[in-house]
Amino acid sequence: MSEAQVKVHVDKVNKSYGENHVLRDISLDIAENEVVVMIGPSGSGKSTFLRMLNQLETPDNGTIIVDGYDISDKNTDINKVRENIGMVFQNFNLFNNYTVLENIMLAPVELKKLDKVAAEKKARELLETVGLSDKADMPVSSLSGGQKQRIAIARALAMTPDIMLFDEPTSALDPEMVGDVLDVMKNLAESGMTMIIVTHEMGFAKQVADRVVFFESGKIQESGTPDQVFDAPKNERLQEFLSKVTHA
Amino acid sequence: MFKKGILVGLLTILSIIIMFGFTAGNHLVYADEPDYTISTDATYPPFDFQDKNNQYVGIDQDILKEIAKREHFTYTLKLMSFTSAAQLVANEQADGIIAGMAITEERKAVYDHSTPYYKTGVAWIVKKGSKIKSLKDLKGKTVALKTGTAASEYGKSLQTKYGFNVKYFNDTDTMYNDVAVGNSAATFEDMPVIQYAIKNGVKLKVMNADHPGNAGWYGFFVKKGENQALLSAFNRGFAAIKKDGTYDKIVAKYLGANQSTFTGAKKDNFSIWGILKANKSAFLKGLWQTITLTFLGIILASIWGVVLGVMGVSQNKFVRGVSTMIIYIFRGLPLMVLAFFIYIGLPGVIGAKIPAFTAGVLTLVLNEGAYTGAFVRGGFEAVEAGQMEAARSLGLPYRTAMRRVIMPQGLKIMVPSFINQFIITLKDTSILSAIGLLELTQTGSLIVARNSQGFRVWAIVAIMYLIIITLLTWFSNWAQKKLQ
Ligand SMILES: Nc1ncnc2c1ncn2[C@@H]1O[C@H](COP(=O)(O)OP(=O)(O)O)[C@@H](O)[C@H]1O
Ligand SMILES: [Mg+2]
Repeated sequence: MSEAQVKVHVDKVNKSYGENHVLRDISLDIAENEVVVMIGPSGSGKSTFLRMLNQLETPDNGTIIVDGYDISDKNTDINKVRENIGMVFQNFNLFNNYTVLENIMLAPVELKKLDKVAAEKKARELLETVGLSDKADMPVSSLSGGQKQRIAIARALAMTPDIMLFDEPTSALDPEMVGDVLDVMKNLAESGMTMIIVTHEMGFAKQVADRVVFFESGKIQESGTPDQVFDAPKNERLQEFLSKVTHA
Repeated sequence: MFKKGILVGLLTILSIIIMFGFTAGNHLVYADEPDYTISTDATYPPFDFQDKNNQYVGIDQDILKEIAKREHFTYTLKLMSFTSAAQLVANEQADGIIAGMAITEERKAVYDHSTPYYKTGVAWIVKKGSKIKSLKDLKGKTVALKTGTAASEYGKSLQTKYGFNVKYFNDTDTMYNDVAVGNSAATFEDMPVIQYAIKNGVKLKVMNADHPGNAGWYGFFVKKGENQALLSAFNRGFAAIKKDGTYDKIVAKYLGANQSTFTGAKKDNFSIWGILKANKSAFLKGLWQTITLTFLGIILASIWGVVLGVMGVSQNKFVRGVSTMIIYIFRGLPLMVLAFFIYIGLPGVIGAKIPAFTAGVLTLVLNEGAYTGAFVRGGFEAVEAGQMEAARSLGLPYRTAMRRVIMPQGLKIMVPSFINQFIITLKDTSILSAIGLLELTQTGSLIVARNSQGFRVWAIVAIMYLIIITLLTWFSNWAQKKLQ
């Protein structure tokens, strides 16, 4: 791929928590409009990797360039970079002290991306996209998990990011809620958003991923198209992982 | 931005209080008459005490008033415990002290004293009807003494010889009461003081009326080498009132008085209702002072506490350290030590007097603010980490995330702690009576010193506190509901 197309460039990144070497020499490039799904056993470093892309964690060494900004450089204004990277958490993390609408409007208004009127208009449009227009004035505590996660996606989208990070967005949901959230994500993928998704939803991965990356023991053990990874896995640990997941 | 705003607000309010404090203590001063600050023992009848009309009277007070009139000076009175009153002069917070203070060798090292104005000696005293006949009977028993007085020095000097234990008190009335109820077997007190008290119904007996121990003299004191003009004025004035018989009249007025002259009629002292009615204005003033202290204390300590709490979760290590340090120091210091330090200790260092009210408010703000700071920081830290991460992931800077997401949630968690702290603040105002603030507790002390009706007076004071606490709790709960 050509330089212009690269949205995320990660080169030889390492991260340890004390003795625990969590990420080992990770290198990965992600292109504009690409949807990358990361799979792997729990504790393999997927979250740590994802959180490093918007500097919720800092790498010990290596280079991370997102959107053309070197975020491993101390002089980079990380807040500016983050405005263009949306993140969706496993536990939603909606702001408990605001209503649904206020959650979505907060960042665009505070960061002066939009005035109040425009922000509200946009928030209502986003609520419609995620199918929750009727919840606008509700406190977030009154929502179900699936609804919360769709609001969290709307909140991230309100900043019109060009990259979206998802860290197990459906893991905390009751099974019947998972579909609604995945549908929203599918639509987002189809609209051309660059997405990096950590998930255990293999069916979903097959459907939307341009590329699947397998993490294990802090390393990318294998990566390729969904067909390659799911139907013809070469790495032994990947084979083991897939057999566990599919037979579970 | 946020922190700056709060700081500016805090400083503004503080300067208002300081000004208020300065003016509250003032009274009319004529250009040609010097104005002095004179400290005195708040509860030392018949020398210094409050009469039934809540006027400050006594042998000392009448002498001082008479001399001031003749020598053309004015003065502001500072009513405190004896030791604090004496320290005030030593630290130049007051110009002179008149407080039934005996002239001793030790005191001569620190103070200059006037012509002796009253002959005194130490009495030893037991409960009426006590089986104790001589000092020898005190072996192994407890003797009550008042801190820092010449009488207590005398008592202490007999301790080894007679083998008794010593228990110290800060005011005369509590000390008498300890003997009257039988907790302590005996006490030592200046002869005229105990004689006056017994005449007024205190159930004690003097054992050595004809042979006072350590006979000596009371004097008026200034700090050594300072305020010599005041001292000469006192001596001149004293010679004059002695000569024309005014002095004898004053002494006779107090020692010849019967109980109702100063403490009021029986009906005003032997029922809660009577005491309440007779001391209505004193109680109201004390109540008002307590409410003012509490109100200012609560508001300013909350602001200061929030500032400390915000500093405590700052990204800057140094700022966090400063907050931790301040909280550590001021949570660790007992309130009374802090009050004495600010009121008596600090002025010597900064070279300016601090009005008692200002010192009191400052004490509350520093102490309660430290506690508030600790729970505010804890409240912020108790907000789920995910809230901050979500806010930061949207590009919000740390401060904005704090202000818009973490703080509102944290403050909600803290509401019960705030209410609790408000109630503690109210109770802590009573400790400020130690620096002479005439709040509810000190008002109670003054009335008890006069009428010896401890049970009734303290019951009234207790009920008043409970009423304020109830109102405060109602208000807090109401505010809490509004917040939710
Ligand atoms: N803040 C942290 N402090 C210490 N260890 C951590 C921290 N975050 C993650 N780890 C450790 O790093 C490893 C990788 O964690 P994580 O990236 O969450 O894995 P995954 O998301 O693949 O389950 C785990 O062993 C985890 O215990
Ligand atoms: Mg994870």
